[in-house]
Parts: sequence; C-alpha cells; structure tokens
Amino acid sequence: MTKWLSRRTVKMLAVLLAVLFALNGGLISGGALAQDEPITLTMSAWDVATTPYWQAVIDAYEAQNPNVTVELVDISSAEYQDVMNIRLSGGDETDIITVKDIPGYAAMLTRNQIVPLDEFVEADGLDLSVYSGAEVELTYEGSIYALPFRSDIWILFYNKDIFDAAGVEYPTNDMTWDEFDAVARELTSGSGADKIYGAHFHVWRSCVQLATVQDGQNTIIADDYSFMAPMYNMVTGMQKDGIVMDYGELRAGNIHYSGPFINGQVGMLPMGSWFIGRLVADQAEGIFDFDWGVASFPVPEGVEPGTTAGTLTSLAINDRSKNKDAAWDFIKFYAGEEGAKVLAETGNLPALRTPEVLEIFASLEGVPAEATEALQTTTVRLELPMHPQVGEVEQILNEEHELIMTQSVSVEDGLEETTSRISDVLE
Amino acid sequence: MGTMKLTLKAASPSKRRRQLSKNLVAYSFILPNLLGFAIFTLVPIAFSLGLSFMHWDGANEISWAGLDNFKALRDDDTFNIALKNTLWYVGGTVPLTMACSLGLAVLLNQPIRGRNFFRTVYFFPYVASLVAVAVVWNMLFFPSAGPVNELLRTLGVDNPPRWSASVDWAMPTVVMASVWRGMGYYMVIYLAALQGIPQILYESASIEGANAWQKFRHITVPLLTPATFFISIMLTISSFKVFDLILVMTNGGPGRATNVLVLHTYNTAFRQFKFGYSSSIAMVLFALVMIITVIQFYMEKRWVEYSQV
Repeated sequence: MTKWLSRRTVKMLAVLLAVLFALNGGLISGGALAQDEPITLTMSAWDVATTPYWQAVIDAYEAQNPNVTVELVDISSAEYQDVMNIRLSGGDETDIITVKDIPGYAAMLTRNQIVPLDEFVEADGLDLSVYSGAEVELTYEGSIYALPFRSDIWILFYNKDIFDAAGVEYPTNDMTWDEFDAVARELTSGSGADKIYGAHFHVWRSCVQLATVQDGQNTIIADDYSFMAPMYNMVTGMQKDGIVMDYGELRAGNIHYSGPFINGQVGMLPMGSWFIGRLVADQAEGIFDFDWGVASFPVPEGVEPGTTAGTLTSLAINDRSKNKDAAWDFIKFYAGEEGAKVLAETGNLPALRTPEVLEIFASLEGVPAEATEALQTTTVRLELPMHPQVGEVEQILNEEHELIMTQSVSVEDGLEETTSRISDVLE
Repeated sequence: MGTMKLTLKAASPSKRRRQLSKNLVAYSFILPNLLGFAIFTLVPIAFSLGLSFMHWDGANEISWAGLDNFKALRDDDTFNIALKNTLWYVGGTVPLTMACSLGLAVLLNQPIRGRNFFRTVYFFPYVASLVAVAVVWNMLFFPSAGPVNELLRTLGVDNPPRWSASVDWAMPTVVMASVWRGMGYYMVIYLAALQGIPQILYESASIEGANAWQKFRHITVPLLTPATFFISIMLTISSFKVFDLILVMTNGGPGRATNVLVLHTYNTAFRQFKFGYSSSIAMVLFALVMIITVIQFYMEKRWVEYSQV
C-alpha cells in the first residue's frame, strides 16, 4: 500500500512542485513587467448595430494597443439606464460604463458604483479645461466621475423641399420661437395621408421644456414651474390647430422622430445634433432623397441667438472593475483628441472640439453646408442639472408633461401640479 | 407467502425504514422544484420582507427604518393612485375574463365545424409575445386612423374615445387587451370542465322539458363551480401582479392614469433606488392578495359544488 509513496517518489514530487512554482512565479512577475500582457476590457453601450462610432473608436485604440481587446456589452437604447442600474446593483463587472444622461450619472455616482477619476487625471496631468465647460457640469462635490466624449446640442432640422414648395424662406440662425410658430403655420398644408405638418415635436419632455430654460433665468429643477407656460401654450396651440402631430398618437403609435422627418411629412424638427449622423447615413443609402438643412436652435424673444441646450455622453469606470488602469487608458483615448477625430469622422460631435475636429466633421460628405454656422454656440445650457434626486424629479416632469400634452389637464393646472409634486420631493 | 408474512410481523422497525426510504424517494422527486422555489422565490421574498423595514439604495449601506416606509405610503399619492388603479384593473379584468372564457368554452363545446381551429385561434393570444400584442392593440386603438375608431365613426360616433392616449380611457383599453389575451387560456380550463359534465344530466333534463337556458343555468353553471373557483383565484392573483402589459402599452400613463402597484414598485426600486420603500409596497400588495385569496377560500363552501355524479 505504501510502496508508491516511497521516499524517492516524495523527493521527485517535491522537486517537480518546486520547478512548477518557480516557473509559475517567473511567469507572473514577467507578465506584470511586460507591456503586452493581453487584457480584455468590457464596455457598456447601446444600439451597437446602428451606432457606428462605438466600434470605430475601439478599432483605433486596439490598433495602437494590440494587447488590449475591448468588448462591447450591447443594451437597447430605450432601456439602457434601467438595465445598467439593475446590472450594477447585481454586481456587474463591466469595466467601462458609458454614461448616457445626467440622471444615470447621478444614480451611479451617489451609489458609489463609478469611481472618482481625480487621481488618474492628476497622475497624467490631464487638462480638463479642453472640454470647455463640460467638465464643470460633470463635477459633483469637487470630484469628476466621468470623462465626456460626445457633446450634442439642440438644433433645428428642416426639409428644404417643403420650404421651397411653400415658398417660405429657410430658417435663419437667429430665429425666435414666435417666428418658428408662424413659419410652421405657413408650411402646413394638405390633409389625410398627404398632410404636411409645419413642425414636429417628439414626445420627450425636453423637446418642449428646453426652450423654457434658454434664457438662463430658470433650470429644469425649480421651485416654481409657471415659467414653462408660454412654451406649453405655444406647442399645445400648434397641436390643436394641426400644425404638429398629435402627442397622444405619437405615444400610442410609439413613433420615432426620424419617421415623420424622413418620410417628408414635417417641415421643421427641433432635435439634438446626434440626428445629423443618422440623416447623413440614411441619405447616402438612398432611404430618402429630399434636401435638408440645419439651423441654430430657435431662441425666446430677447435671448442671444446661438443659445441652446446640450447633453453630454461620457465614460466612467466601474467600481468593481478589475482593470481600472487599463480602463482609464482607454477612456483617456476615447475622450481625447484621437477619439474625437474618429467620432467626427463617423458624423458625431465630440466633446473635445478643436478646430481640426470640427473641420473633419463639417467636411464630411452629406453634412449640410449650413452646419458649420448652425453649430456655433454662444451659450449651452444644461439639459438637466446634476442633482441627487434628479431621477425622481424627471419622472414627475415626464408624467405631468404627458398630461399637459394629451390635454388631460390645462397648461396652468399641469404646471401647478408639477410644482407641488416636485417641491414635495425636494423637501 | 409464509415467509413474507413472517417478516412483516416480525420487523416493525424495518417497515418504518421502508416507509422512510419511500418518503426519501418521494422527497428526492420534489427536491429540485423545492430547491428552485427556495432559492429563487422564498429567499428573495424573505429578503424583501426584511428590506421593507430598512432604507437601502442598492449600493451603499443598509440602515434600519422601522415602520417609516409603511408610514410614508400613506402620504405617497402615486401609491394611492396605483392602488386605486390596481383595484380598478382587477375589478374589470377578473369578471370580464371569466365571462368571456365561459362564453367561448360553451360555444366551442358545441359540435360545430372547425371547432379545433377556433379553439387554437382563441388560445393563440395567450402564447403570442406580449410586446407584439401590445403594439397591435395600440395600433387597433390608434385615436385618429385606427380601425376601431374608423368603425365607430362609420357607426355615427362623432367623437370616439382616444383610448390609450386619454386619461379616462387608458385603463379600459388595457383591461380589454388583457381580457383578450387571457380568455383563451381560461377557456381551455372551462372546456375541460365542461367535458367532465355527464351527458346523462342534460338528457334527463331534456326529457323533463328543460330549455337550453334552464339547462345552462341549473346544470352547467353549478357543475362548473369548481373550475370557476380555481379560475377566479388564479385570475385574481395574476391580475394583481399585472406589470408587463402596462409597461409596454402605456408605461403607466398618460400621467399616472394606468400606474399600478407593481409598476410603482419597479419605478421606486430601479429608477429611484429606494429598495426598502419599494419592498414595503410589494409587501402591501402581498398582504392584499393574501387577504383576498383567504376570503375566496372562505367563501368557497357557500357556492362551490363538488357533486358526486
């Protein structure tokens, strides 16, 4: 029985083990030193199939860092933040978290699911002022938790063919909302399936509410919402007169804003600059063939033209990531100049806007010539300010927006209820 | 024979052992399901019960809340609206689904041509993807150009309802969709029960001169009561739990017109990160369903007939 465990065998085993350990140890220490240890990073993203830039930037990074592989975790855009919240609560280890909006940022930051980047920034001596203010918006209690890579602003898209047919002049970059209303009424014609609507408001509350904070007197988180009344009166008035499509129907039919515009049913569409990339691609593919243009976001009377609202898309590092250093290196690239160039080449507006980057964007085939000027901004207001309870506030805003737009309540009553419900939350 | 008798008599402990091993075999068959239930249902329920007395945002530390969460429910008007909406939904869905499924079952129990085809047709919504069902319903009830409103207009209704786009009609629309979706499933249960009613009863009733309605009223309905009882309980419980249909069709809107308890639970947990508070809503829902089910069982003796024909 004990024969096989003879002294000699034990000795041999010991030697073998020692060799193995030595080998192993050598490998481990060697790996830590070597630069080309293969690393796989994971990154959360949305609608990967229809959004070309995710992979384009990754390809550029991987070309420079052959040892790194970045895998995308694809989540549908509409459910992105909900899915992300649930995954992170469940201990998800995705290294790089894409931050889609401010409520999502606030949620992940206050729950310590993403890490402060200050130490990384300091260690690399990164100058954040290149983001021209975006870095300030993302700073919470003195720390920054994400680097912005895309920064979109709200602009006005218009269908030149509809303007030409109606004999109306194209919108200028200093259009006011009153002029917008008047022009939309001139453009509206026809009925039934052939009806041309002067303008289009998508179902998001931001489509109506952003114009109410352009003057800088109020923000979306406020203690009295009566300041929103003029804009709501204008939009519900347009809806009543059939100048814009009916809100309830857009909701019930789940109609994406690209549909009516690409079908040539609407004259003007206030929308984010992210829509440029989609239009350029669709036109190149021959999905539609009318001429379109862009102008600056209309402004309320007395507000300086070029004042608009903006939204940031940024990248953060998961607190549970096991590759924080590698993730930082990738984020730095993505949000930096090289990433910005790739983004611009794919028809997106990067957060880092050097003249060179803007030049790349404007000279893309299919981008309207007016874009360069229309994208000039004087002031960019925040779509939603950073606040710990911004998620809850947004839900109330959405619910009350729906009630006003379906004309279930009057504009006045709706805004009054918004005020009282939100002040309850902020107490 | 003789030896067997002997062992049986002599070895009472071995009999017990055999009984034990029989039980173990039986338990081993139950075990996989029981384990699944314990891990995926029982533990989360216990955790949720515990959480309802805590404050937790899903990431940071948990702190004790006592009864704060339950007290806060009283002043939460979204909770009150959701509670009212849930009762509305249950009150609409349960009787309507039962009536429709019974009607269908009786019709499709007749020897008509192609009845298997129709049975499949009515069962189909139950297995169809809910998202597709919701989209199709929203299309059918599209306010301006939907087929339903077109029909109403040709029938002379000038201002047909705006269905899911209006605060007053959103809930009825959801109830209708849910009745349409569920009735096929309960129809199958009713069909099975109908086929269990002895034909002899109908024959003798015919000889006595009973008409169709009398036969239905005095033979079919009473003998279906066990099935009706089962269906009413299953349907009540599943209606209280409604979530998916509402999320896809209206997302609780317009405003809060179709917000129900489970949707509110979901919103407070995964959009506002108040896991403790959200658990307390879930506990209220649990208590509500529990009380109603107990009442239903208590009432069972009064109206359910288990005949021994």
